[in-house]
Amino acid sequence: MEIPRVGPNGSGMSVTIADNRDVTTSSDSPATLAIDVDDVRFAYGDTLAVDDVSFTVAPGQILGFLGPNGAGKSTTIKMLTGQLRPDTGKISILGMDMPGQREQIQGRLGVCFEEKNLYLSMTGSENLVFFAKLFGIQGFKPEPLMERVGLSTRLDDRVSEYSKGMRQRLMVARALLNTPDVLLLDEPTAALDPVSAIGVRDIIREEAARGAAVLLTTHDMHEADDLSDHVAFINQGKILTIDTPENLKLTHGTRSVRIRARHGADIEEEVIPLDEEGAEDRIRDAVSTEGLLTIHTEEATLEDIFVEYAGRGLT
Amino acid sequence: MSLRRSWYVFGRELKLSPRSPLVFFAIAMPFLITFLISSVFGSLFDVNPKLGIVDEGDSAMTVAAQQLDGVDTTVVADAITLRTRVESHDFDAGLVLPAGFDAAVRAGENPDLQFYVSGESLASTRAIIAVTTIDLVRGVAGDEPPVDVVVTPVGAEDYVPISDRLLPTMVIYAVMIAALFLPAASLVDEREKRTLDAVLVTPTTITDVLVGKGTFAVILATVMGVVTLALNNAFAGQPGTMTLILFIGSMMLMLMGLILGLWAKDITTLYTAIKAGGIVIFLPVLFTLFPGLPQWIPKFVPTYYFLQPIYDIAIRGDTFADVLPEVAIALVICIALVPLVAWVAKRAEHELAITV
Repeated sequence: MEIPRVGPNGSGMSVTIADNRDVTTSSDSPATLAIDVDDVRFAYGDTLAVDDVSFTVAPGQILGFLGPNGAGKSTTIKMLTGQLRPDTGKISILGMDMPGQREQIQGRLGVCFEEKNLYLSMTGSENLVFFAKLFGIQGFKPEPLMERVGLSTRLDDRVSEYSKGMRQRLMVARALLNTPDVLLLDEPTAALDPVSAIGVRDIIREEAARGAAVLLTTHDMHEADDLSDHVAFINQGKILTIDTPENLKLTHGTRSVRIRARHGADIEEEVIPLDEEGAEDRIRDAVSTEGLLTIHTEEATLEDIFVEYAGRGLT
Repeated sequence: MSLRRSWYVFGRELKLSPRSPLVFFAIAMPFLITFLISSVFGSLFDVNPKLGIVDEGDSAMTVAAQQLDGVDTTVVADAITLRTRVESHDFDAGLVLPAGFDAAVRAGENPDLQFYVSGESLASTRAIIAVTTIDLVRGVAGDEPPVDVVVTPVGAEDYVPISDRLLPTMVIYAVMIAALFLPAASLVDEREKRTLDAVLVTPTTITDVLVGKGTFAVILATVMGVVTLALNNAFAGQPGTMTLILFIGSMMLMLMGLILGLWAKDITTLYTAIKAGGIVIFLPVLFTLFPGLPQWIPKFVPTYYFLQPIYDIAIRGDTFADVLPEVAIALVICIALVPLVAWVAKRAEHELAITV
């Protein structure tokens, strides 16, 4: 079974992923890939957390990493940040070896943790200035970044006085302060209200448009669908598949049209599978029926497809 | 390792120190403990009683008083100034010797002697000055002492008063909170709140963090140790040597603090470890307080090798050369702790990464 891996063009070299299926990947050479993970394995003692995982992310792309708790998402991110050293396999980021060139790579990484690990006794701007110094950024001004995440009025307030959502936005700002080439975002919209979540998603898109490679872990299938160029399903340490959301939805489940129409006192509903023979005629007839109420196209959701692959849901 | 990043970590610790209760405690402790101990036992290293004299007639008492070893005598121009300075506790007491005082004493006339005593002076100091003054008057009168006093030393010849034996207690308290407890608690806090994760995914290494936190702890501990010695006049004329020994002691405790902070999984574990293991750190102090105990036992405890030199210099008047062997051992202990810290740090970094 061929499953395209992340890459701008969707074709190229063939590698083996978790379940030993050959996978077609992008044509990017390793030098142009922002993230190149090759047959990486990591175990916590006897428990295998990441099992021969391989994937790539090109500059400017967003890869959504989807899986339930304990699937291996965070362990994979920790290997990308250099916090954990893989037992086997190879990780290359921006053409450099991780963990061999850890410091050089970390200088170009932006990381947003799921846990709100900010210095609570410092103000928002002090947090950013401190981390900017650690990145070696001279003359850093926190104001534009705070403005970008909607915290410009809370610059000098201690983080302990911030709401959960404000802390999350500050986490996003901290991940961006070194204008990273690779962004690793672990549940970046968790705890955000819908308006703030939209703002953060816009920032993620802007960063990708700037050329940053983005690895995004989320439980939110709609967010993954909305943001990701490609999504990877991960379960029990294995990557089950990687593809564009569109391809996944087209190649899994059934495309159909759901039509509701009033017949006398009754409302009738008809589902017409698009791949069935005569579907066009049936739709035409249904649309011309008097009493037509609604027409909806339907396709499999990423959640449905994940269940199909993993045999379980995301939660 | 990057010294620049260590400097930033140091700067952060320094900047946040006014917001930290622990730093406040570390700074307040030397003052608090000095106040408490001096309230109970008097000043550890009492200076000589201070006597002011207004001499309106070239009295022989003035010359005799100035020659005393045990009293610091100052001649003042007039009685008003003397009274003012006694009131402000510049002097423990003040004497006004009127013109013709010596002649009147020798003639047996019982002249008046104006004697001011500071309300803030200790009772012991007042007694010393009163007895000294009577002795000086007797000298002017030419009286022979009515008795011959035979002095017989009893008890241990090298007996040190309890108040002096408390010096190591004060020093260890002053140094330990800043050097050991502060970096340990700070590290545990960063691990518990996962802020260390955020720092370690920047180009900053665990070594940078430890150097920054450790430097802050050592500087603060050394300063507080110096303040403690200064408050108690315990430099014994060797401030440079004392500061060096305090610095080495602070280094030793800081390295122990880093090991504890990297090892303890949470703040409760840290408190428990310090409570349980504190006896080892304090052991030399107990043996100084109770000199009848076998004095070879505290030599197995690292803190002995900086507390004992401070005690020996301050109390026994030893020189740096005398205490050099102990100081050298303290330095060797510090050097030996460095690779241990590095090993524990590596282990802690991995533990941190695999902990969800």
